[in-house]
Amino acid sequence: MLEGYSTNATAAKIRAIHGNMFTADNYRELMSRRSVPEAAEYLARSARFKDVFREVDPNTVHRGFLEELLHRQNFNTYIRLCGFQGLDKLPFYDFLIRKREVECILSIINSINSSLENPSPSDIPGYVIKHSQIDLLEISRAESFSDLLKMLRGTSYYKTLVKVPLREDGSADYTECELRLRNEYFSEVLRQVRDGFPKAEAKELTDMILAEIDGRNIINAYRMKAFFGFSPEEIMRRSLKFTKLGKKRMEKFYQSETAAQMLEWIDRSVLGVNSADTDNIEVKINRVKARRLSSKIARSSSTPVIMYAFIQLCDIEVGNIVHIIEGIRYGADPALIQSQLVIS
Amino acid sequence: MAIEKIALVNIVGLLEELDDTLLKCCESGCFHIEPAVKASQGGGNSSGGLRLLNEKNPYGEALKKYSQLAANFDIKLKETPGADKSPEDYIKLADEIEQESAELSKRRQSCSQAISELESAVLQINHLKGLDSDFKRIFSCRHVTSRVGKLPADNLPKLDYYNENFFFVPFETGRDVCWGMYFCPTSEKGLVDDIFRSMYFERIHIPDYVTGTTEEALASLDAHIKENKAELERCEGQIKELVKKRGQDIQQGFTVLKRLHDIFDLRRKVGASKDKFYMKGFIPEKKSDEFEKLFADMRSVSVVFMPPDADASCTPPTILKNSWLTRPFGMMVEMYGLPKYNGFNPTSFVAVTYTLLFGIMFGDLGQGLLVFLGGLLLGKKLGKAGGMVTRVGLSSMIFGTLYGSFFGYEELLDPVFENLEIDFLPLKIFKQTNFILLTAVGIGIALILMSMLINIYIGFKEKDYEKAVFGCNGIAGLIFYSSVVTGVVGTMILDIEIMSPPFVIFLIVIPAVCIFCRVPFAAAVKYKEWRLSEDEEKMTVGNFIVENFFEMFEYVLSYVSNTMSFLRVGGFVLSHAGMMLVVMTLMDMCSAAAQPFVLVLGNAFVMVMEGMIVAIQIIRLEFYEVFSRFYEGDGKPFEPVGVSFSTQVE
Repeated sequence: MLEGYSTNATAAKIRAIHGNMFTADNYRELMSRRSVPEAAEYLARSARFKDVFREVDPNTVHRGFLEELLHRQNFNTYIRLCGFQGLDKLPFYDFLIRKREVECILSIINSINSSLENPSPSDIPGYVIKHSQIDLLEISRAESFSDLLKMLRGTSYYKTLVKVPLREDGSADYTECELRLRNEYFSEVLRQVRDGFPKAEAKELTDMILAEIDGRNIINAYRMKAFFGFSPEEIMRRSLKFTKLGKKRMEKFYQSETAAQMLEWIDRSVLGVNSADTDNIEVKINRVKARRLSSKIARSSSTPVIMYAFIQLCDIEVGNIVHIIEGIRYGADPALIQSQLVIS
Repeated sequence: MAIEKIALVNIVGLLEELDDTLLKCCESGCFHIEPAVKASQGGGNSSGGLRLLNEKNPYGEALKKYSQLAANFDIKLKETPGADKSPEDYIKLADEIEQESAELSKRRQSCSQAISELESAVLQINHLKGLDSDFKRIFSCRHVTSRVGKLPADNLPKLDYYNENFFFVPFETGRDVCWGMYFCPTSEKGLVDDIFRSMYFERIHIPDYVTGTTEEALASLDAHIKENKAELERCEGQIKELVKKRGQDIQQGFTVLKRLHDIFDLRRKVGASKDKFYMKGFIPEKKSDEFEKLFADMRSVSVVFMPPDADASCTPPTILKNSWLTRPFGMMVEMYGLPKYNGFNPTSFVAVTYTLLFGIMFGDLGQGLLVFLGGLLLGKKLGKAGGMVTRVGLSSMIFGTLYGSFFGYEELLDPVFENLEIDFLPLKIFKQTNFILLTAVGIGIALILMSMLINIYIGFKEKDYEKAVFGCNGIAGLIFYSSVVTGVVGTMILDIEIMSPPFVIFLIVIPAVCIFCRVPFAAAVKYKEWRLSEDEEKMTVGNFIVENFFEMFEYVLSYVSNTMSFLRVGGFVLSHAGMMLVVMTLMDMCSAAAQPFVLVLGNAFVMVMEGMIVAIQIIRLEFYEVFSRFYEGDGKPFEPVGVSFSTQVE
């Protein structure tokens, strides 16, 4: 009771930051900028990102660094929020650190598979290093998959990756690694939710995480069907094993004959309620998701639910900004950029 | 009070006398010019046989030069009489002064630029204070390449994980970035540069003139800055001398050319046909004779006066005609928007109601006196606002006397009323709370009814029967609202059974039906035919019912909310008395020596805060509760032509 009460301050803080997040108007203003430095200048002056631009000159900032700054701002916000009332001591709340760890490991596997000669510590986001439970910089020096496994020995990731069958040249299938790591990540998060929170709160949180997985699976399935022509069985095998919608319904989507038919079925399902009239599956699914998450932040009384929804919205927001910056860089039509934005 | 009568003036004459004519129009101070050829009449450069005189302004360039000179020399341009040269001479003079000043300005600019560059180099070198070697020696190495710059602090730990042949020397590490320098063999600089670039290392180019160690470089930069600043000071001195010598010429040149420039600009609103010009505008009717006399000595110019509505292509502007008593309140009407010509001037109504409401809400004899004196003293500085302040101050004094309140002392005036044997005064605010609140609502009802009556008057004047008879603020609305108010007051306060069936049917239901069907009823009167909408668009009966049901709902809601809104008048009476009570209580709690200070400070605080809030609240009541019922504010302001001495030149 006391704990639940005490986290209300964090929920209020998140809502306050959520109020500062970029709106459609902000995106429009950003889109009206004609160059990347102008866009960086706009971001540096915004209440949302000005902190992270304190020591950065918007006129000379590298585009890649600009993206990293935006991600860093969100990660720092998450760390501050977790530390505000000591939530970082509870097991569930390190979900973003573990998510970033998974992404770093996948990036290293990708580098190994690409046979890059040099290790690539520069690919590891600097802001994650000091918060991670594993030595990300050390593992970034791994030259082969077996090297990586040796370095990961003693961590939960070792158990997950050791089961991945190796190819003849000693490398591991990236997709297989990703599937296993993400399954393991979600499995662990769901377990922590089940064990760590009261029943009603756990259900709300579980539903949200499962809806996220459904969205991810649908987007991947659509891509596999539309661009690679994968069979329903193959799609099923490459999908995450959790679902909120139900296994049968998901299988029905996978079994659609064409990508267009799948899109039509999505429109008629709960995933497509009030969805955008677009062929871009990511925009379609994520706009519904963004709306759902915003509503969670406004209406839920559970801090972990609000926190999890907020972090996802932050990712969507950075995605939109990166998209706009890319559009500005390549001189894309603002109307086209706008149609690709995920706005709730 | 009403709206000033104006006349439409057509002026025709030979083109050679155009400039003189325009000059006289400007000097008259009462001529509002209208474009002789409107874009809608055909656009382009000619219409109806008239061509537009849109030549390039010959004074624009010279004027820009004077503006630029004034900006460079920090001269505040103002109208300066006493010009002793011709316009052509002043145009030449602008070039002369510009040449004289060009070299000085160039020197000053280059000094400022150099100082700015040097200062930014100091900022960069400051981050490299840990370096104690000579920059020149470091950068002249043949086999070792070095780069100075900043690296995101997050990426610093990554450097240890590279096996390449380089090392990084950090000089200053902040929260987000680390300033430093890296060294690598020249043969490997491509690879190492790539590595650092991938970690977003931002390279800083050290200027060539920076030599020696960091300390030496900083000392040398400092010396350079001092040198440039001294040179800048010398330049400023010389510029001051030039300003002293030429300042008067610049002011006079600007004055002469600005007048000619603005007059020439008016030519854009003049039409021409062969060798004749044609212009039109409005003047106050009472100044017609005076205006005509101005052109009496001009050979070819003829002035013709006509009624203001004679030319359908231009809308007559509005000049409010107010007495000295109500004139300051014209400011509020202008703020909302002027009435159209021949419309209703609400200034007197606003003056009376604003003064009355302010007095009621801010009644205190002493504070009112101070407000009154403040208005008198600051009248010249505040303009119309000063006049308003004196009037509301007087009102505050009158109501303060009725409340028996003098700087928060609520009993001070009691003996006066006792001697005069007036029993019902002063009004004791906290003992008569209900009376004050009900009176406030009563005042609101009276004001709303008056607004409706004004609306009915305007409606009939404009022959708009929907507005005058069937609208929510017309006769139907007036009957409906006053009947409901009478019914509620009779039943709930006076205990009289007034809501009999005939009363309800004739005075509430029928007016409500009229409001509901105001559009078809008005159309029946106006067009003698039955239609559900004014603009002949197709409207089904269902749509009509739904639309009007919600509008009717909104009207009823607005009657209630507008009436209740006036409760704030009573609320502020109580709040004013309450705040003064707090001041008095605080004063009682203090020592005798501190009491005068508390009294003065408390009164000052209440006067400023409460005075401002009350003033704003009344504006709100006037604009929302009263004006919205009858006033549209779509008039055009009367703007006489003249010369503006602003430094902006198009």
